[in-house]
Amino acid sequence: MAAIDMKKTGRYILLAYLAVVCLFTIGAFDKLNRKMSFGGNRLFIYLPVVILLGVLLYYYTRLLERSMENGKPVFGAKLFLTIHKYRFLIEQLVSRDFKIKYKRSALGVFWSFLNPLLMMIVQHIVFSHLLNIRGDVQHYAIYLLCGIVMWNGFNDCSMQSMRSITGNAALITKVYVPKYIYPVTKVFSASVNVLLSMIPLLLVTLVYGLFSTPRLYLHLSVFLLPFGLIFLLVFCIGMGFLLSSLMVFFHDIEFLWTVLSTAWMYATPIIYSLSMFEGKQGVQWIVSLMNFNPLYHYISFIRTIILDGTSPAFTEYLICGAFSIVMFFIGLTVFRKCQDKFILYL
Amino acid sequence: MTEENREAKLRIRDVSMRFRLEEDRSGSLKETFTKMFTKGLKFREFYALHDVSFDVYKGDVLGIIGRNGAGKSTILKIISGIMKPTKGTVERYGNIVPMLELGSGFDMDLSGRENIYLNGAILGYDKEFLLSKYNEIVDFSELHEFIEMPLRNYSSGMIMRLAFSIATVVEPEILIVDEILAVGVENFQKKSRARMMELMSGGTTVLFVSHDMNQIREMCNRVVWLDGGTVRLQGRSQEICDRYRI
Repeated sequence: MAAIDMKKTGRYILLAYLAVVCLFTIGAFDKLNRKMSFGGNRLFIYLPVVILLGVLLYYYTRLLERSMENGKPVFGAKLFLTIHKYRFLIEQLVSRDFKIKYKRSALGVFWSFLNPLLMMIVQHIVFSHLLNIRGDVQHYAIYLLCGIVMWNGFNDCSMQSMRSITGNAALITKVYVPKYIYPVTKVFSASVNVLLSMIPLLLVTLVYGLFSTPRLYLHLSVFLLPFGLIFLLVFCIGMGFLLSSLMVFFHDIEFLWTVLSTAWMYATPIIYSLSMFEGKQGVQWIVSLMNFNPLYHYISFIRTIILDGTSPAFTEYLICGAFSIVMFFIGLTVFRKCQDKFILYL
Repeated sequence: MTEENREAKLRIRDVSMRFRLEEDRSGSLKETFTKMFTKGLKFREFYALHDVSFDVYKGDVLGIIGRNGAGKSTILKIISGIMKPTKGTVERYGNIVPMLELGSGFDMDLSGRENIYLNGAILGYDKEFLLSKYNEIVDFSELHEFIEMPLRNYSSGMIMRLAFSIATVVEPEILIVDEILAVGVENFQKKSRARMMELMSGGTTVLFVSHDMNQIREMCNRVVWLDGGTVRLQGRSQEICDRYRI
């Protein structure tokens, strides 16, 4: 039984890898197909690495399969079994959140499209006509929209997942379910919205680009958008673990976080641009400090893809990935340490 | 049959559960901090369970009796994995379905049908199982014409009927019941009682808390008497029940 499941899981892993490689190759082809300083094309290094990784992954899935047969656990096997076991529950919880959110509104799911759009119109009017802080940003409307979509995604995810443990208190004290599931599902259901809001983002870019001077076209680099979203998602899950476990012990976090996140929003170049600070004395520290703001990196990632029509620099992938993974493990460790005490405080 | 060569379903070994009762519980960061510096946080330690050990074997219907606050609910929560004991271990052999409070996973805005899937998933049933048992659940709950309505329009009796039908559709290896469940109108009460009896006699291992001594005598073959967090007596149901006086 389990062995068959692992065969499927292995196939999914390989498919996921294939999808990642395809998206990346298509999206970043212009950067990959380039001469290097010592001669030779980047593709000559990229392709063998991809194939080698694929082969390694294939052996790993074979190892997974075999581990189920002879009962010797391989690294990660337990994780896949857990996911398999609770997949249905996660599915149900996510679909519940999603149904509930729009159940009583007339426009329903359209709010996911409308919300960022209306927000952008409001902020666009305020910031490009009333207050002139756009600096020398070209295509300011799209610049703004990228920032709003990503920030709203982050804000939604962190707010929702923060209440995931305290909000499910009735369940946690009655039925045993691994508690990780609650923040993770909240992030998933919030990120469905982020995913949906990508549609108005792309549509607006398409229409706006036709009428603006200079023209703005969508490039193949939009295939890289999923990477930006996955980085954000993993970061949010880590944040969710951290916030939801703190929330159990100190309810004040809820109020503190609204203040903190507002401060964070203004500290992130969403409505303004870093080029504002160029050439000014005494504010260069802001620019260098920005390197430690993960949201800045995630938003720039998306902006490069849409506005510049090219892949972000390869170091940018590493930076974004590192932020996500570090946050994830910080959150996970805190959550793990606290989770047995939750029930005593709920 | 001697107890040693029967198949154990649960082994509870030296389980202790300590609660810290803060003198006045402060929920906020500021209060906690200020107290830490002024008079210090005061805790009163309280053992809800102290070195409790017993085994449950396959096919047992084990009654847990005791006064209010003797630790009955705590031991059920520890066995079902909701709480982690301060000390001691619980070994489980088989899937556990806890029926501690019915319908705690229900969402009032979803329809009955959606709630069957949601609550089923929470109780750990898988998709194929729920799909195949869906009609059985609806039939048992007798809610055919209401199943597409949101739960907030249900009466409380209807909600209990739905919850009971979902919870008892499985035949779990270990069933944990806090007070016998008799829900709804008389007709459904009979039906639900019959279903409980069917589960209990069908080879399922049952853990069962009740205050009704007649029910305990009638259904259990073994009884554990908890008193002040420790096992006062355990053994055959008639024996313990005769000696049990509140």
